[in-house]
Amino acid sequence: MWTYYLTQLVHSLPFFLKGLWMTVAVSGISLVAGTILGFLWGIIRTRRSKFLYHLIGAWVDLIRGTPFLVQIFIVFFILPEAGIHLDAFPAAIISLTNLGACFICEIVAAGIRSVPWGQKEAATASGLTQLQQLRYVVMPQAMKTILPPLVGQYVLLIKDSSVVSAIGVMDVTRAGWLTVQRVPQGLMVFALVGILYFIICYPLIRLSNLLEKKMGRGTTSF
Amino acid sequence: MIIFRKVHKWFGKLHVLNDINLAVDAGEVLVVCGPSGSGKSTLIRCINRLESIQKGELIVDGMKVHDFKTKMTKLRAEIGFVFQQFNLYPHMTALENVTLAPTKVRKIRKQEAMEAGRQVLEKVGLGDKIDSYPAQLSGGQQQRVAIARGLCMRPKIMLFDEPTSALDPEMINEVLEVMRDLAKEGMTMVVVTHEMGFAREVAHRVAIMDVGQVIEIAPPEEFFSNPRNERTRLFLSKILRH
Repeated sequence: MWTYYLTQLVHSLPFFLKGLWMTVAVSGISLVAGTILGFLWGIIRTRRSKFLYHLIGAWVDLIRGTPFLVQIFIVFFILPEAGIHLDAFPAAIISLTNLGACFICEIVAAGIRSVPWGQKEAATASGLTQLQQLRYVVMPQAMKTILPPLVGQYVLLIKDSSVVSAIGVMDVTRAGWLTVQRVPQGLMVFALVGILYFIICYPLIRLSNLLEKKMGRGTTSF
Repeated sequence: MIIFRKVHKWFGKLHVLNDINLAVDAGEVLVVCGPSGSGKSTLIRCINRLESIQKGELIVDGMKVHDFKTKMTKLRAEIGFVFQQFNLYPHMTALENVTLAPTKVRKIRKQEAMEAGRQVLEKVGLGDKIDSYPAQLSGGQQQRVAIARGLCMRPKIMLFDEPTSALDPEMINEVLEVMRDLAKEGMTMVVVTHEMGFAREVAHRVAIMDVGQVIEIAPPEEFFSNPRNERTRLFLSKILRH
């Protein structure tokens, strides 16, 4: 019996790989868009505008404090009531991008705040504009604090992307759900799903660890 | 060059600058001393608007610093600032530190800026350290790079906020030497410091501040040997023991 299910599973491999490709696509697009948006929000949060600080802060707290499943349901099932009809794939991308941006925003803001105040003063005193300061003095130094947790966040988002299966996106989790109906061996099927996620996440975990070690070394002493 | 007219500043309830009236001429070296919390650092930081004033007028090189319409990048290009904590950019070499502002603010071509940067670093005695990172330099060397960084902008004024206070004693002299040479060349300088030897030799005038006010201001001969104010006498007696 066992071997029968195993062979069924092996036959379904192409199906899983299609799902894996979908997971990579959804995660990949959301990570890129989320990073851009997250950096933008993070930078804005460290500027002087108290209004924007609180506005972005409220949104970020809301998104970080509610389940992603609920968020994606709202986008896919409830927005149509307000006249906004989205297909599953765009709904997934928008929700996951937003989720990523909110977490990345906080990582970036913390990184910028970790740059010593004196650095910003020295740059200001030299006559550099705010934008030049950010680009040449602050961000290069902030990246040391930002990079390790940023890559860690990427791993979390890839795993969070499994939620998009709930609105019908044919990712690798959904492939698992569909397969388990024909191959009623939950452990085998979802072990495979887990392995596939692990394959894409593990390199990033290693990268995050490597970055943490590398960045930790560059501390000035005077 | 620098004119303070009826300047006031508060940090919340603290009256940190109280009716400051001061003028510094081009080519003059003014040393500002005084006890901790007297407002001397705040005073110097107002000149390039790292701090802003709340009342009065502050005119630097003909530009109204207190006016929000003044282009601060234009003003700050003419003022070099040396911090007590050096504040060198740790991710850049000495040469990159000193050429950043000239290339981005004065829009000088990179090659030209690097050539000029090399010369200034030579001048402060660090010609062989142009490719070193701040972490590889001693405190005295870092501060000299910081001075070079200010000088590369060819400013009209150099401001020093306790430039030697964070240095080990054996490195103080190398920094004061550079400052002495600068003064000889006719640079307008305002220096907040406790180095009274430097003040005696190099300053045109010495000012003492206490609780936000300029208590006394006079040429060093007068200031050190015959101060008029009792508080000046008290302060000098405390710090001139060695």
